[in-house]
Amino acid sequence: MDLSQYLEIFIDETKEHIQTLNDQVLILEAEPDNIDTVNEIFRAAHSLKGMAGTMGFKRMQRLTHDMENVFSEVRNGKINVNADIVDVVFKCLDCIEGYLANITESGDEGTEDNEDVIKVLNDVLAQSESVGSEPAAKEEKTSENQEAKSGSSDDRKKYLSIPIADFEKNAMQEAKEKGMHVYATTVYIQESCLLKAARAFLVFKGLENKGEIIKSVPSVQDIEDEKFDFDFSMFIISDKSLEEIKKIIENVSEIEEAVIEEFDIPDVVEDTTPKAEEADDKKESAKEQKSEKKDEKKTPAKSGKPVVNRSVRVDIEKLDDLMNLVSELIIAKNGLVSVTGVMAGSDQSFNEQIEYLERITTNLHESVMKVRMVPIESVVNRFPRMIRDLSKKLNKEMELIMTGEDTELDRTVIDEIGDPLMHMLRNSADHGLEDTIDRLKLGKPKVGTIRLDAYQDGNNVTIEVSDDGAGIDVEKIKAKAIERGNITEEQAEFMSDKEAVDLLFMPSFSTAEKITDVSGRGVGLDVVKNKIEGLGGDVEVSTKLGEGTTFIVRLPLTLAIIQALMVDISGEKYALPLNSIVTVEEIPSDEIKYVHTKEVINLRGTVIPIVRLNEVLDLEPVEKDPELEDDDSLIVVIVKKGDKQAGLVIDNLLGQQEIVIKPLGKFIRVPKMISGATILGNGEVALIIDSNTLV
Amino acid sequence: MDNNVNNDLKQYIILRFDSEQYGIDISYIDNIVRLMPITRVPHTQPYFLGVINLRGVIIPVMSMREKFDLPFKENTGATRILIIKYEGADIGVLVDEVKEVVTLNDEDVEKVTSDDVESRSYVTGVGKYNDTLISILNIPALITDVENE
Repeated sequence: MDLSQYLEIFIDETKEHIQTLNDQVLILEAEPDNIDTVNEIFRAAHSLKGMAGTMGFKRMQRLTHDMENVFSEVRNGKINVNADIVDVVFKCLDCIEGYLANITESGDEGTEDNEDVIKVLNDVLAQSESVGSEPAAKEEKTSENQEAKSGSSDDRKKYLSIPIADFEKNAMQEAKEKGMHVYATTVYIQESCLLKAARAFLVFKGLENKGEIIKSVPSVQDIEDEKFDFDFSMFIISDKSLEEIKKIIENVSEIEEAVIEEFDIPDVVEDTTPKAEEADDKKESAKEQKSEKKDEKKTPAKSGKPVVNRSVRVDIEKLDDLMNLVSELIIAKNGLVSVTGVMAGSDQSFNEQIEYLERITTNLHESVMKVRMVPIESVVNRFPRMIRDLSKKLNKEMELIMTGEDTELDRTVIDEIGDPLMHMLRNSADHGLEDTIDRLKLGKPKVGTIRLDAYQDGNNVTIEVSDDGAGIDVEKIKAKAIERGNITEEQAEFMSDKEAVDLLFMPSFSTAEKITDVSGRGVGLDVVKNKIEGLGGDVEVSTKLGEGTTFIVRLPLTLAIIQALMVDISGEKYALPLNSIVTVEEIPSDEIKYVHTKEVINLRGTVIPIVRLNEVLDLEPVEKDPELEDDDSLIVVIVKKGDKQAGLVIDNLLGQQEIVIKPLGKFIRVPKMISGATILGNGEVALIIDSNTLV
Repeated sequence: MDNNVNNDLKQYIILRFDSEQYGIDISYIDNIVRLMPITRVPHTQPYFLGVINLRGVIIPVMSMREKFDLPFKENTGATRILIIKYEGADIGVLVDEVKEVVTLNDEDVEKVTSDDVESRSYVTGVGKYNDTLISILNIPALITDVENE
């Protein structure tokens, strides 16, 4: 059977299960007695095993199988969860992720057997067996519901444990009085089945014509959503014979078995002897039977939980197409607006319609943007696990507190932001937090705290990574920078603390005395900075010696459409992104001073270098109109990058506009200062200046 | 017009620069548009005039004259921009005049060997049509060359 079409689904689902396992195992470590968590873990491990087996990934299946066994024992109370087990399980998950990475890349799981991990898992299992005798009592307890007394052949008759409401009993009773049969059945689907819901649907479909299904567990809705294991139970009222119904169900392919019998309506009839039609009941081990029972008990309990979000998976390309169309619409709208500008004093109602259109396009743009927004949760949810591992590795006690995981960012930003955040967290864990002993000496809480706080702030999303560690020693940075020859001693003396801290972002700059696995190689912060700036954001550090360090990352909500200031430079139109503009100033030309032959202005006490954009852009300066000779001043747009500023000299301001960023095409070489182009209302193309490259 | 189901027959767009005629395999041509405002791009390759907006897509435009080191000539009413599609991307080429579309038999095109003069390396062959000679342009070379620079 060709499974390649399922590969994508397999990869997605495996990722989800691994994430669930990571999350739940972390919870389990904190509360080892949480039975819900154990159940959740077991369920995920079980699904992983099933899927790996179906897809023919034998090594992965073996590993997940052993992992599942361990959890099965945990669930039975034979193994107590301890740090060792959690470690093994995490190692296991890493191995599975390794397999998954191979599969994603080549469609093959690779040849790594991970024997060592499997061995440890089996050791854990072996230990549990030797402890064996005492938990037996517990075992009995767990199975003390009604099917316990009805013997092993009833173990697969899961319907027996389904609570039946009075109105359902009445319905059954009535049917019986009319001479109809009431059947109860539990349908088992082969574990290799890929489209469980579809099979279940066929079963329902087949039965619909023969009778009435009065109840099913899980509910029909849940079954359609594939929210069930490999079996489901139902009650059917029909005038057909038992064999006929059984045949209909078992005729659906990939159905393993339908356990069915005439149902004893509780409280009413007592003497219908259950038929023992299942000879193969004992195929499965007692352990697995037990696990199935547990699953089932859990199902009704779970229904209280919120159902998975009602959502549709959409290919990102389709969203891009939609976004492009919206962009087109905005360009067309801008065109209309500029035409109405020309027809001054035109019809009032026409103008109103244009304004209406403008509102709609803006709303449409916002809606499409929202569709592209993804909560940062999908990126940050792997961090608790990472911090736990780091804590072990570095032998420091630490905890991660995250807030604002539901803050949303554009999909393109989300895809890129994971690595920089990870770098910063590692940095905080390794350099930021002191060793546990030092913390105690300093009178700080033993457990170090790392925080990741995300929130929306106007048109930006801010993510702060902070720690309550030692803070950054500014003098140490300066010393290091002097040693490396980045700055001179005089420079160091006049350097503000902030400037000194910014030195950290220089390529391969590290003050760590010892290089660890985790960080300290000096690769990191400069990469972080580049990446974030590449996304149109910026990163800032604030630190207090002895109290901790905070990295503040600001990211734009969206990338494709921005607000820009349109300017005229020697007759050409350019767009300056609004988010980097501080102010626009008119500066008399005699206020321009020279520092090291470079032009600067003194703006309210700050010395700001001046960039003449016409020179940068290879343009002739405009001839000054001789009649306006007294008007000898420059229009300077002050832009910022982090806390550095620069003044860009332009000739004219043309106004603010919403612009759509477009690439310049494949074959043309584009200078670094041009970040893209946009189409103006009149169809002309204007280039977008990336002011970050000029500061 | 002949259809080019026959493999030996190919259609070419004929361009004229001064006295010379060039042919481009029609399968490369996406569109031919009239001259429109071109936005200059600073610090790019010298033969790129800038970019245009063709129905919402921004396309770089190069000058054939610059590329072939021909003397500068003012644009006229006959000036056209050929939109060439290559490797999924568009590139515009500004030409003096688009004359016509001709169908040439493969036998009528004489292949040019690679050791020819350098300025001719963008030419794959020379075709003959009604007693005039047409240099057939090697579009991939012309554009890949652009890419490498």
